[in-house]
Amino acid sequence: MKDIWTNRLSEYIDGELDSTERAALEAHLATCGPCYATLADLRDVVAHAQTLTDREPAKDLWAGIRAGMIPAVRPSDGPTVRPFGRRRFSLTVGQLLAASIALVLLSSGGAYVALRSGPSNVTPSPVADRGPRITPVATWTGPTDAAISDLQATLTQNERRLDTMTVRIVRENLAIIDRAIADARIALQKDPGNAYLNFHLAQTMRRKVELLRRVNDIAAQS
Amino acid sequence: MPRQVLEDTLTADSIAADTALAASGDASAFERLYRTHVARVHTLVRRMLDADEADDVTQDVFIRAWQKLSTFRGESAFGTWLHRLAVNVVLAKRKSVGIERGRFINEEKPLDNVSSKPVTLELSMDFEEALARLPEGARQVFVLHDVEGYRHEEIARMLGVVPGTSKSQLHHARMALRRHLDR
Repeated sequence: MKDIWTNRLSEYIDGELDSTERAALEAHLATCGPCYATLADLRDVVAHAQTLTDREPAKDLWAGIRAGMIPAVRPSDGPTVRPFGRRRFSLTVGQLLAASIALVLLSSGGAYVALRSGPSNVTPSPVADRGPRITPVATWTGPTDAAISDLQATLTQNERRLDTMTVRIVRENLAIIDRAIADARIALQKDPGNAYLNFHLAQTMRRKVELLRRVNDIAAQS
Repeated sequence: MPRQVLEDTLTADSIAADTALAASGDASAFERLYRTHVARVHTLVRRMLDADEADDVTQDVFIRAWQKLSTFRGESAFGTWLHRLAVNVVLAKRKSVGIERGRFINEEKPLDNVSSKPVTLELSMDFEEALARLPEGARQVFVLHDVEGYRHEEIARMLGVVPGTSKSQLHHARMALRRHLDR
């Protein structure tokens, strides 16, 4: 079956041959059954390779990674491995709002302190101390803003499915989150490299996305 | 915005937010990134190296990602950046265990290790198994080109060979693997 063209079949499939070689190979294929059959086989292999799927590892590797991230974890640091996974929230709207607002207010207090204290007095969290250098998030919040905008538009359409009291509470609490986001942005303008403020902004925006998604899901199911 | 597009946007957005949080030192955000990307990274590593090395090397990839997050500037998606990092770690591993350029010059003989087309369907070797039994060089070129979509010029640069060697290895890998496709 081997001939001078057999080893060029993959290049032919991948479009790597020039026009002269390509024409010569096509002329050969018209008369050589084995090469023609091999070409079909190779095309099958290429197609099959593109259908291969990814598989999770047999065991969870996170604990080892977590240990490698912080080589010297002290026992007094307490448990640092927290299974988070991709669990979906199963809270009610009220519970979700309460949790979100409590967290936002709590972290807003930190933002306020950070803003009042000025750039040099900011003390990053202990976890942040161990991590990589800071990458300001405020420069690429565009996709987040767009997602929030879309979710809010969806919520506007969905609001009629929620009772009036829930809508009012959602709006009030979204306003609180918006103020926290606005405060963080103002603070970041003054101190763009501040670790706490970047962390706070990203976290608050994430909470807003989660809250909007959850409320929209609930409205869609109503 | 259609729901699927919205979901995709939110997923990308969530990853971007987690990347920022992780870059600020948030281990929980990094764990979420790990859970999103581990299957892709582990599969890549398993296909390019031996299966028994896949867990260790995958852990190494994520630890390095954590250490290098400050260099991630967001020009590409986090997944793309992580994937490229994984390829680099795999190739460094290959060098560190002494798998050298010579493996890429080999031709037909090592491919004989992959048994010929089975006579019955029951004996048919799983395609992934057949892939795992290819010689290292041919396997890596096949994975990078046909599975991951890299071009020969890129592969040649990564592996330190000429593009012609990459093309030759790819052809030999395909020729070996064609015997193991069920029909």
